[in-house]
Amino acid sequence: MTEAIYPQVRIVSARFLRPDTVEELLNRLVQIGGILRMSLTGQNLPATVPYGPARGKPNPHPDRKVIRVGDQDVQLQVQVGNVILELEDESYIPAVEEAVEEVFASKDFSCTVQRGRFMKTQPTISDYAKYGPDADKEILGLVDPRKKEGPIIIQGNK
Amino acid sequence: MNEVKENMAYKPQYGPGTSKVAENRRKQMNPNQKLEKMRDVTDEDIVLILGHRAPGAAYPTAHPPLAEQQEPDCPIRKIVTPTDGAKAGDRVRYIQFADSMFFAPCHPYQRTYTECYRFRGIDPGTLSGRQIVECRERDLEKYSKELVETELLDPARTGIRGATVHGHSLRLAENGMMFDMLQRSVLGEDGIVRYVKNQIGEPLDRAVAIGKPLDEKWLKAHTTIFHSLGGTAYRDDKEYIEYVQRIHTLRTKYGFLPKEA
Repeated sequence: MTEAIYPQVRIVSARFLRPDTVEELLNRLVQIGGILRMSLTGQNLPATVPYGPARGKPNPHPDRKVIRVGDQDVQLQVQVGNVILELEDESYIPAVEEAVEEVFASKDFSCTVQRGRFMKTQPTISDYAKYGPDADKEILGLVDPRKKEGPIIIQGNK
Repeated sequence: MNEVKENMAYKPQYGPGTSKVAENRRKQMNPNQKLEKMRDVTDEDIVLILGHRAPGAAYPTAHPPLAEQQEPDCPIRKIVTPTDGAKAGDRVRYIQFADSMFFAPCHPYQRTYTECYRFRGIDPGTLSGRQIVECRERDLEKYSKELVETELLDPARTGIRGATVHGHSLRLAENGMMFDMLQRSVLGEDGIVRYVKNQIGEPLDRAVAIGKPLDEKWLKAHTTIFHSLGGTAYRDDKEYIEYVQRIHTLRTKYGFLPKEA
């Protein structure tokens, strides 16, 4: 769970992003520093067809790609629509806004940076019922804590 | 195909409204109005996208041809001419569409109205984000060709999706394509949209090209969707609102035997 003292921003673009745009944006954000946690949200791109007559067959999708962010490879599992950031303090927000503006300057659609609270601060009864008392609170509310792959840690440049 | 008879006692209006959107809706519904042909797709391409039978294979049948079986003495059967598919005893198969809210040329309710006015022997099913139409296989291929080739379809904003239809209300992708979890259609480098999977998501042996996406200006001029952001707002069409409110009032009062003044 997040500490309520840290500011959060959400980057929302008017279109779903291509993997190379996501890569460019994230690398620009990583350079700013001051990011405690980051979550990419959007529509799920499953590896196999989840339902219908073709259920279980492989689902090759050109946007389900591995991108390089900082010094880590990140397997995209969604078509990225929003990026949620938790920052160390508010002084990083103008730099985030500037980075977003820079990346989207050449695009023909807009992208906004919203301030607010976008990550859960407290587990709900449903979380308790679904994941039990020992669920990893670091990622609860961002992704399914039962997922085998943990979060990807990108080393800071401090 | 259906057409309105010349000697009818009244002239059908198809729908209310004074806006461009209302006019486009009426145009699509009116069977006497020829739909603009936008692209060429071969019969084999349609069969591939539908995925119900292999191209060139015989039509599987659900019952013997009507000519070979004894039919009961029924006055309705004497009035109604069977369609080609029904005559041959074809199976009932389907095509399903998802239309993006971002100014797709058609949308589920509109599709159902349009098809009911234009085609025979169909069973449309209308849902919020998708529309399915079922009919005999032979007829289906004929109707599908018309639905795909004409202005009712935009390669980017309309999806032919038998299953996993999600996407009509989502943001578009960067290249302007409607989100599709199974990525059945892909926009190529040359700007042409190709179906690489059939409508239920099974990979095709060869890609089926269905042409270039239509530009934003054309879409906004030909859409049948009211949209307050960037398009025609529903509330701006006073006549449409008045009509819908009248229907709503009469439906609500129905139990009280309404009498119009």
